[in-house]
Amino acid sequence: MATRCVFENTHEIGVFAALTNSYCLTGVGGSENFYSIFESELSEHIPVIHATIAGCRFVGRTTVGNRRGLLVPNTTNDMELQHLRNSLPDSVVVQRIEERLSALGNIIATNDHVALVHPDTDRETEDVIADVLGVEVFRQTVGGQSLVGSYSKFTNQGGIVHPRTTVEDIEELSSLLQVPLVAGTVNRGSDVLGGGLVVNDWSAFVGLDTTGTEISVIESIFKLSRQGRQQTQSSMVTDMRSSLIDQLS
Amino acid sequence: MPVYNFKRIGPVPSAPDLVDIVLMRTQRKTPTVVHPGYKISRIRSFYMRKIKFTQQTISERLGNIIQDFPRLNDIHPFYADLCNTLYDRDHYKLALGQLNAAKGLVEQISRDMIRMVKYGDSLYRCKCLKRAALGRMCTVLKRQKASLAYLEEVRKHLSRLPALDPNTRTLLLCGLPNVGKSSFLNKVTRGNVEVQPYAFTTKSLFVGHCDYKYLRWQVIDTPGILDHPLEERNTIEMQSIIALAHLTCAVLYIMDISEHCGYTIEQQCRLFQGIKPLFANKQLIVVVNKVDQQPWETLEAEKREMIESVVKMGGGNCTLMPMSNITEHGVSQVKNAACEKLLEARVDARVASNKIDSVMNRLQVFQPQPRDNVQREAFIPESVKKQLEEDGGRPKPQKSRTGYAPTVDDPEADGDATMGDAAVKKTARDLMWENGGPGVWAPDYRAIYDLKEDEWKFDSIPEIIDGKNIADFVDPDIENRLAALELEEEQALKELEAANMENPEESDLESEEEAAVMAIRDRKKTIRLMKNTNKTNNRPMMPREFRGRAKDKHDPGARNKNEIEKRMEDLGVDASKMIERGRSLDREAARKRGRSRNRRDEDDATMEDAEPMDDDGQSKTKRKKARREREESRKRDPSVNKRTHNKPQTLEKKGLNEDTKATAKKMERKGRKGWAGGAGEGDNRKGVHLVKWMNTGKKRNGTHYCR
Repeated sequence: MATRCVFENTHEIGVFAALTNSYCLTGVGGSENFYSIFESELSEHIPVIHATIAGCRFVGRTTVGNRRGLLVPNTTNDMELQHLRNSLPDSVVVQRIEERLSALGNIIATNDHVALVHPDTDRETEDVIADVLGVEVFRQTVGGQSLVGSYSKFTNQGGIVHPRTTVEDIEELSSLLQVPLVAGTVNRGSDVLGGGLVVNDWSAFVGLDTTGTEISVIESIFKLSRQGRQQTQSSMVTDMRSSLIDQLS
Repeated sequence: MPVYNFKRIGPVPSAPDLVDIVLMRTQRKTPTVVHPGYKISRIRSFYMRKIKFTQQTISERLGNIIQDFPRLNDIHPFYADLCNTLYDRDHYKLALGQLNAAKGLVEQISRDMIRMVKYGDSLYRCKCLKRAALGRMCTVLKRQKASLAYLEEVRKHLSRLPALDPNTRTLLLCGLPNVGKSSFLNKVTRGNVEVQPYAFTTKSLFVGHCDYKYLRWQVIDTPGILDHPLEERNTIEMQSIIALAHLTCAVLYIMDISEHCGYTIEQQCRLFQGIKPLFANKQLIVVVNKVDQQPWETLEAEKREMIESVVKMGGGNCTLMPMSNITEHGVSQVKNAACEKLLEARVDARVASNKIDSVMNRLQVFQPQPRDNVQREAFIPESVKKQLEEDGGRPKPQKSRTGYAPTVDDPEADGDATMGDAAVKKTARDLMWENGGPGVWAPDYRAIYDLKEDEWKFDSIPEIIDGKNIADFVDPDIENRLAALELEEEQALKELEAANMENPEESDLESEEEAAVMAIRDRKKTIRLMKNTNKTNNRPMMPREFRGRAKDKHDPGARNKNEIEKRMEDLGVDASKMIERGRSLDREAARKRGRSRNRRDEDDATMEDAEPMDDDGQSKTKRKKARREREESRKRDPSVNKRTHNKPQTLEKKGLNEDTKATAKKMERKGRKGWAGGAGEGDNRKGVHLVKWMNTGKKRNGTHYCR
């Protein structure tokens, strides 16, 4: 099930939260409303952690991680790093990396097996990503956008990419990532998928503006709905084709 | 796709109001003071401005009205026809046309009158021309009374038309009056249309919205239509016909088979045949309504046949469905069938027109081609899997008060939370509201720490202790690296020392000499310091005469005998002679003072015998003294002469050296003239400023200051 939520009047919840299969980070807000949405859904299974990076609350854009590790930018201070270290289970490696492009969430998109990175990242960063997160790393763009973390979102089960990505590009990406992909939007047509969507292998959170059609696309591609778990993602093609055509064109 | 917003049209003022608005604005926004004494060109431009401004205001107001109202030729034909029926196209166009003509007339008047004002030869004549111009413009406006009133009515009505999008997915309900169209709308949407058991309850179009297949659908309720030729239809019925004619939609033709509406099935079928041409290219469903009163199965055979033949006549696109608004039997089936039919048609149209190529990437799921034999599994924790199985595919009940504070009458706030959900852990948000709300309470983030021992969680860890923080100990080989660094530093220091040992600096002075040198240097330093101290005399100075004098018995002053002795002794000088001399001088002065006080008396006493008097009664000594003075004055420099000392003197003549000359010049420039109390540059003295023209002539009746 995908849950609609909002962070202090902004629907770009991916900016303020980061979710993987073994932990969840949320930014520190004025109230606990945002945190508790994640807490009630996830806290039985994985830790949900209040975090800041360099004193800022946009943790979703500055960090990136998967179930094996968490990468934080070099602006993270020692207290924050220690807080993360204390809160995360020991199986998760926390690593601060020296990378010029410090919004790691924007330049890296990853699941537990494969990562896409911005073409301009350092070679060292690439090595660190491969080591810490235990993934294959590919330098790629998505739909002509080099901020792969902002314009694509994928888990081990499926992924969604920028709506302007061409058919050939999606096919290529799908073979690279080895997950089924589709082009789509969140938040009533926003192409910033990383901003509007927070997802892992069994749960998803979307911005409050997201329409029913968008939610059902997300649920079916990430195999989140109960029918979707049994069926394949192709149900989207059969069930929703007509409404998608009517809405999009 | 244009979206029509007729609510945006600004209110149209009535003709008298418009005149008032225009004249008021002219009065407020143009100058009001003019005087016959002004130059004639100024007077003319004053009045021309008034005329021009009035004309501009009128043009602007009328222009806005003309612009705001939709042009019937430009808007969607559905709206154009609707306006035609509701407001009469000719009347509407005429009204707008008249306003346009009025605007032109006003411009013409303004042009003419301005031309005439240009030849006005006096203020009075210009004013008359202005009055005439404004009057004529207002008359033109007053003639538009009817058009303006009509347009205001149209505006009010337009703004209340339903927000109907002619291009979106639409279901249209039509049929005879009272067959259950509005009831159906109320069932499938939240339109809340009035339903009454008499004909023509619905007198205009109504819109409701419903959802189907993730999409938003527009349902339009139309007024009932009677079975008679088009020419005889009234305005209310015409609205239905227009909607049918112009909207691309699925049509639900609703029939009342119980005949409770007052029309027989035969009449209803006749109406269907009558408006059949309007159903062309539309998805049509004949809905047999009120089956709770008269089930479809038990309907008389001939009537049933009649209806079926009608459906057949509707073509392949037409289906028949039974429905009852009261029992809600078949309501959602009808809605779904209609939506499905329309959606299918729309998708076919899109596919046929190649519009979907651009969105093809969003319509298909791209499955990966395996590139190696690695299995990339999803990672779902066991607890999640277990929970999913337990739920059995049903979503767990969720509290849906996200973002709102629990209120007193919130059932979950007291009862449910304490009893039913005792096992459910309180979220941070619940705790926050219990403890005072946002900004008052925040959770302790350490509570979720995952540490080896639980009691370690809340241990306070100083950020920095002994110059280190905890991050310094994160690296396992930090000690080794530190040791290496220290070794390196030691090495470097040793090297430096060794380098220094090679050429040690040797002094060739004895220790005493060195001490002396140091003393000299110290002295020099002090002198330098003293020299640099501020010695300017920019402070009140005691006159020399009083300097060092005794002030009172406690402060004998510096010119005291003891003080002088002490000071001189310090310098190694014998002061006894000095003091002796000073004393004698003092005594002398005292004697002189004493004598001078009674000299006149002495003189008077010895006058007769001591000195012979002259004619003018002066003693010989005095005369001598006067002569001497005269002689001396003749010898003196003429510059000091009494008669000439007012004249400017050159500095050279004063016999001053270069330095003092420069200072004096500077002082002169500053206007000080050597006197410290003179006017400086900061002295802003303003003398009395008497302007002649203000202070001469008559001062009566206020004519003096204002011309």
